[in-house]
Amino acid sequence: MGIFLTLALNGIVNGSLYFLMAAGLTLIFGLMRVVNFAHGGLYQWGAYLATFVFATTDNFVLALAVGMLIAIILGIVMERGLISFVYHNENGQLLVTMGIMLILTELIKVPFGPSELSSNTPTDLSNSWLVGQVVIVQYQLFMIGASIVVFILLLWILHKTRLGMIVRAGVYNPELVEACGIAIGRVFTIVFALGAGLAGLAGALAGPYLGAVTPTMGFDMQLSAFIIVVVGGLGSLTGSFIGSMIIGILTAVVSFYFSSLAVLVNVVVMVIVLLIRPQGLFGERESAT
Amino acid sequence: MTRHTRQFGPLLLILVVVALVPVLFGVGGITNLLEQVFAFALFAMSYDLLIGYTGVVSFGHAVFFGTGAYVVGIFLAHSGGSSGGLLVGTCVALGMSILLSLLIASISLRIRTVYFAMITLAVGQTFYVLSGSQMLQPLTNADDGMTVPLPVWLTHDRPVYYFSLAVLVLCLVLLRLFVRSPVGLVLQGIRENEGRVLTLGHSVYRFKSIAFVISGLMATVAGILYVIAQTFVSTGVYDVSISLDVLLMTIIGGIGTLYGGLLGALIIIVAQTEFTNLAGTYPIFGRYTILFGVLYIVIVRFMPRGIVGTILESIKRRSGQEG
Repeated sequence: MGIFLTLALNGIVNGSLYFLMAAGLTLIFGLMRVVNFAHGGLYQWGAYLATFVFATTDNFVLALAVGMLIAIILGIVMERGLISFVYHNENGQLLVTMGIMLILTELIKVPFGPSELSSNTPTDLSNSWLVGQVVIVQYQLFMIGASIVVFILLLWILHKTRLGMIVRAGVYNPELVEACGIAIGRVFTIVFALGAGLAGLAGALAGPYLGAVTPTMGFDMQLSAFIIVVVGGLGSLTGSFIGSMIIGILTAVVSFYFSSLAVLVNVVVMVIVLLIRPQGLFGERESAT
Repeated sequence: MTRHTRQFGPLLLILVVVALVPVLFGVGGITNLLEQVFAFALFAMSYDLLIGYTGVVSFGHAVFFGTGAYVVGIFLAHSGGSSGGLLVGTCVALGMSILLSLLIASISLRIRTVYFAMITLAVGQTFYVLSGSQMLQPLTNADDGMTVPLPVWLTHDRPVYYFSLAVLVLCLVLLRLFVRSPVGLVLQGIRENEGRVLTLGHSVYRFKSIAFVISGLMATVAGILYVIAQTFVSTGVYDVSISLDVLLMTIIGGIGTLYGGLLGALIIIVAQTEFTNLAGTYPIFGRYTILFGVLYIVIVRFMPRGIVGTILESIKRRSGQEG
C-alpha cells in the first residue's frame, strides 16, 4: 500500500509537470493549428537558466521568473520571426519548428557545456514528512500546487476574459474573428508567448525535481508531451490535464518495476487510444486533411 | 531518344565517375565515406517517397533504417558472418519492415498529418530505448552495440564498395519505376490535391499506405548497406538525429525529385565528417547541429524546392522560353 501511494504521488507530480508542457502545446495548436516541435527547447532553456540563476543568486522566485521570461522572449521571437511565415503550410511548420528545436538544444551547450548540471532545491521547500508509509516532499507539493494554479488560471482566462473569448472564437473561425476587426495576429503572438512561458516555467520547476538539467531533457519531455496531447486530444485543455495525469502515473509505476520501458508503455497506450478514438479522449472529431 | 540521353546522360556520367573512384584513388578513407553516402542516399530517396510524393512528414524514419541494420547485424553475428545469415537476415528485416509500416500506417495515416509526425517520433524513440535495454542484451548487446562479421566475399573494401553501389543503383531504378507507375502518379496527385484524388474514387489512405510500405522497405535496405559498410551496429542507428539528418538530406536535395537525396546525402555526410574533424582542433565545430537547424529554416523559407528542384525548375523555365 505504501509503495502504491508513493508511486501515485510521484505520478501526480510527473503529471503536473507534463500538464504545464501539454497545456501550452494544446493552446497553441487549438488556435493556430501549429504543433510546436520546439516546445521542448523552450522547456530546456527555462530549466538551464533557472538553474543558473538559482545557483548564482540563491533566489528561487527570481529563478522561476527568469526561466519563464527567457522562454517567453524566445517564443515571441520564434513566432514573429519564423513561424508566422509558415501558417497554412503544415509541413513547413513541422520543419521550421524542428529546426528551431535543433538550434535551441545545441545552442544551450555552448555556454553550459554538453554534460549535465546539478540543480538544487531551495531550502525553504526541501522539508519532507512521513505520513503513514509515504514520504511527502514539500517541493513536490509545491509543483502540484503550481500546476493546479496554472490550470485554474487558464480556465479563467479562456472562459472569463475578453482575450479568452477571442481565443475560443479564433479556434472555430479565425477569419471571422479578423473580420470583426480584431488583430488575430497579435492574439496568436500572445497565446504563443503564453504557451512558451508555461514551457519555461515547467523547465524551471523540473530542474530541482530531477536533480539535474541535461541536454537531452528537452527532447525527452517533448516526447511525453506529444504522447499526452495525442492521448488527451489536441486542442483540449481538459484532455491535456487528464492525459498528463494518466501518462504521469503510468510513467511512475512502470519505471519503478521496469526502469527503462516507460516510453514503450506510453507509446502502447497512445496506440490503443488512437485505435479506439483517433481524435484522442477529449478531442473533437476531425476528418483527415 | 535524345530526351532520354539528356535525362540520363548526366546520371550515367556520375555513375561512371563514382565506379572509377576505387581505381583512381584507391580504397580507404574516400571509399568508406562514399559507402556511407550510398546508404544514406538510398535512405534519403526512400524518405523522399514519403514527403515528396505523398506529402507527409515523419520524424521517425530511422525505425526502418535501424531495423535493417540491427536485424541483419544480429543474423550475421549469430551465424558467424555466413552468406546464409546475410540472406535470411535481409528477408526477416524486410518482412519486419512491412509489418511495422502497416502498423504505423493503420494508426496514423487516417488522421491529421501533424499526428503522423508526432506518432513516428514516439515510435522511433521506443525502438531507440528497446535497442539499448538490458532485457534484449543477449540479442543486441544493449548499449555497447556489436561488431558484425561479414561473409568472406565482402571482407575487402572493394567488393563492399561495388556491392553497395550496385544495390543503390538497383533500388534507384526500382524507385523510379514505382514513381512513374500508375500508383506513383496517383501519389503525386494526392500530394498536389488530395481532395480531388479522393473524389476521383481512389482510396487515399490505401495509396499512402503503399507508399509508406515501399519507403520503409527501401529505408530498411539502406540500413543493411549501412551495417555492411560499418561492420558495427549500435543504438545510434535508431537515434532521432538519424531521422532528422535524413529529413535534412531530402529537403536540401529537393523533395519530390528522387535524385535530390543523392546530393543531399553527399553534402550532409561530407559536412558531418569535416565538422567532426575540425572539432578536434576547434571545439566549437562540434556544435554543427546548430547549422543544420538553421538550414532547415532557410530551406523552408527561401528554397522550398531544394537544390535539384530549383535547378530542374530553372531548366524547365529556360527551355519553355526557347520553345
